[in-house]
Amino acid sequence: MSYLEYRVQTTPTGLSKLLYINWGLVLLLISVASVGFLMLYSVAGGSLQPWAEPQMKRFAIGMIGMFAIAMVPIHIWRNTAGLAYALSVMLLVAVEVMGSIGMGAQRWIEIGPIRLQPSEFTKIAVVMFLAAYYDWLDIRKVSRPLWVLIPLIIILLPTFLVLKQPDLGTAILLVAGGGILMFAAGVHWAYFAVVIASGVGLVSAVIESRGTPWQLIKDYQFRRIDTFLNPDSDPLGAGYHITQSKIALGSGGWAGRGFMQGTQSRLNFLPEKHTDFIFTTLAEEFGFVGAASLLTLYALIIVFCIASAVSNKDRFASLMTIGIAATFFLYFAVNMSMVMGMAPVVGVPLPLVSYGGSAMLVLLAAFGLVQSGHVHRPRERS
Amino acid sequence: MIRTPLRPLARVLSARARGENPDDIERENLAQRHEAMRDRMRHRAEGRLFVLAMCFLCAYVVVGVRMGMLAGSEPTEAQVASTDSEIVAQRANIVDRNGRILATNLSTHSLYAQIRDMVDPVRAAQQLAVIFPDLDAAKLQAQFTGKAKFIWIKRKLSPEQMQAVHDIGDPGLLFGPREMRLYPNGRLASHILGGASFGREGVDSAEVIGVAGVEKAFDGWLRDPANNGAPLQLSIDLTVQAAAREVLYGGMRLMNAKGASLVMMDVHTGEIVSMVSLPDFDPNDRPRPLLTGDASDSPIFNRAVQGVYELGSVFKPLTVAQAMELGLMGPDTMIDSRSPLVWGKFRIRDFHNYGAQLSVTDVIVKSSNVGAAHIAMQIGGKRQREFLGALGLLEPTPIEMVEAPTGRPLLPPKWSELSTMTISYGHGLSVSPVHLAAAYASVLNGGTRVRPTLLKQTGPQYGERVVSERNSAEVRKMMRAVVTRGTASFGEVKGYSVAGKTGSADKPKPRGGYYKDKVIATFASVFPSEDPRYVMILTLDEPTETSGSIPRRTAGWTAVPVAAEMIRRTAPLLGLRPQVETGPIVASFRTSN
Repeated sequence: MSYLEYRVQTTPTGLSKLLYINWGLVLLLISVASVGFLMLYSVAGGSLQPWAEPQMKRFAIGMIGMFAIAMVPIHIWRNTAGLAYALSVMLLVAVEVMGSIGMGAQRWIEIGPIRLQPSEFTKIAVVMFLAAYYDWLDIRKVSRPLWVLIPLIIILLPTFLVLKQPDLGTAILLVAGGGILMFAAGVHWAYFAVVIASGVGLVSAVIESRGTPWQLIKDYQFRRIDTFLNPDSDPLGAGYHITQSKIALGSGGWAGRGFMQGTQSRLNFLPEKHTDFIFTTLAEEFGFVGAASLLTLYALIIVFCIASAVSNKDRFASLMTIGIAATFFLYFAVNMSMVMGMAPVVGVPLPLVSYGGSAMLVLLAAFGLVQSGHVHRPRERS
Repeated sequence: MIRTPLRPLARVLSARARGENPDDIERENLAQRHEAMRDRMRHRAEGRLFVLAMCFLCAYVVVGVRMGMLAGSEPTEAQVASTDSEIVAQRANIVDRNGRILATNLSTHSLYAQIRDMVDPVRAAQQLAVIFPDLDAAKLQAQFTGKAKFIWIKRKLSPEQMQAVHDIGDPGLLFGPREMRLYPNGRLASHILGGASFGREGVDSAEVIGVAGVEKAFDGWLRDPANNGAPLQLSIDLTVQAAAREVLYGGMRLMNAKGASLVMMDVHTGEIVSMVSLPDFDPNDRPRPLLTGDASDSPIFNRAVQGVYELGSVFKPLTVAQAMELGLMGPDTMIDSRSPLVWGKFRIRDFHNYGAQLSVTDVIVKSSNVGAAHIAMQIGGKRQREFLGALGLLEPTPIEMVEAPTGRPLLPPKWSELSTMTISYGHGLSVSPVHLAAAYASVLNGGTRVRPTLLKQTGPQYGERVVSERNSAEVRKMMRAVVTRGTASFGEVKGYSVAGKTGSADKPKPRGGYYKDKVIATFASVFPSEDPRYVMILTLDEPTETSGSIPRRTAGWTAVPVAAEMIRRTAPLLGLRPQVETGPIVASFRTSN
């Protein structure tokens, strides 16, 4: 099923490609982003400044970028995947060397007025490169140990660099997203079983070792775990985020307090209320109904992506779509579990809703890749 | 797996026969094979995607259910707000037996400098030196212009100092929040509390750790968040402690002593109600230990717990109690008291010569060393050692202070017959005042062992029996006679029926032998004598009473009057009512019905 088998002449060309774009997906993205605009407007106290307007502008730029990327034939993206990966690793190294300090973690590179966050870019580059790798690889070799080792290195090299920043959230996304892509590519399930089993074993060993002379992690790290498991034990310290956001969610109830009526976020109880913890504002103002609606929108985006991947016979496009969908899914799954106190606070934004430039632009670019795969999918010989 | 051959001979032959190209057959079969493989792969990939979709779905359901649970939950912010002050206090408070604060926490700030952010290091250094006179401007300036990026300047600031530093306006001078330990009562109970200091320090917080006293002994407990901010309740009574310190300080000055200590203990519960050691210190600013000289000269030395002394004649009631308990004698048995008693090359003398014989009671009342030595010879060294051991006098006290193990009694290297005799009147065995208080409480409370404690107890300790109730009462009666007609006649406090025993022990020289003009004067008392409630051990270190023509140093002239004043002041605070002594009836009145 190499690319050369396609009957390229049946794929649309020129501006007619616009007709073949997955417009349902576009509509979903706009809906989710609009929820974000509303919330940013609300947390700013009913003002477009300082967050909602820049976010809208960025979204507009991102959408244009998405369409531009969608117009470019998918094989070009496949052929540049390696380049993108190499570039992202180089940027990560550069950030290590000359990055400036942002929020206590070294993540930014400043080129003139543009602030670049390479770790965001890396997520997509890894997905692209892995998809290209499995597209190139003979499918019968997928589960051989050597050919499993290579994608592992592809994933773990940037993960290591990102962890050094330190950005635990991105590291989780990289590993989990890459793992999902490998799974979708058909790597034998036994590998995953071994990894999951040893992960569980490691975690239980760490917890078992508490208080013994061979304790594996430091006491303060255990205390962090305690705080996560029981944030009420330290409500003003490390448990503050989680406690406050849980209060906000409880305060929203089923129907919410109404638009612009949230107290927790309005009264500045919540840190990062416009970025990582924006979901709490939504949950407080629109309640369970509003939160569940946003959840449904996200689910639909994933469904659209999976549907596109299943129907796409181009292995690269299909795998990349799965990878991007997985990354997107992980973004909001990690963010929501964090906000709802089911995962530790690791600093992952709510995709397309949280205020923040890099994440939104990169995600829209990624959806541009999905669209490109969709537009340029091989048509059946009729 | 059955594979169709790519060029089946039969078909190739028949195709040849029909004049067709056999390669077409191969191509067709190859295409079919590819098709089949693709279908398998497709099938597998779809299976994988299905599994993934299921995982995603599960995650959705989990998030959705959790969201529902949270939406249905009641907001609980009020709880967090109401316990605000307790959460800030990371280290538990220490309170006295009535819940009054002995140690608590105070939020304050530390001062540090980020050199790179400093605008004008020279000016900042000069102004800082004005605000903190103990800082040197030149030194600060050198630090600010040196290589370091980060410098601690002050650990604790007062709000006024903080404002003044703030007014310098240098962005490189920064404040870090600090919890500091505060002892609002200053010197009261300084030795008991000990003190606290900073452990690991960071910009945003610092660990407060106990360095001495109960602060260190209970360091882990005080820092344990599992206690939910419950305070540590001591047995100390703050009011009694305040009165005791004042009286003892006055007595020490009056008697020209260089040090003094006081232990007041509940005879039934073993609770130490008050413990003072002078000179003392302010735990808010704990002095450093002495680097040279005698550690016991430092104000941080706790004489009541760490100081072990030969306490002298106060041991005699213990000797007599044991002799009576063994059935060797009664209160009226006559004891040889010819002075001096010659034992080998040693002579044991009395202060006065009391003639040929004294009753056991009078051995106590007149404090005859010779008599006590004769009693001890009847008891024997082995049984004496066992009895003193049962009273806890041969090992460190179990009191809950880190200093307690350092108050280890000094035993004679060999418990010889001579040692037996001298120990009977309190020489040759050094113990701390807390030891003596516990031993007295055990013998005098009715005869059951109590162990000293600094924690508030809920009821009496029912320890093992050391003497019978009857003998306990007999010893108290003898000690009461010491006050009414013996060496402690200054010790009478009207209404409180004080019983006690004096002890004046010559201080040992560091290189052997004893000083002639330096004594440890002790008054060990129990009150009220009929229904004992408290024992009180008061010692003065090197007292000299100078009101007479010759300086007087014995306890009867020094420790006893101070102790009497102590009981007069503290007994009402302890809730003891003075007993109305029935004097002779002068007149009777008739009231009309």
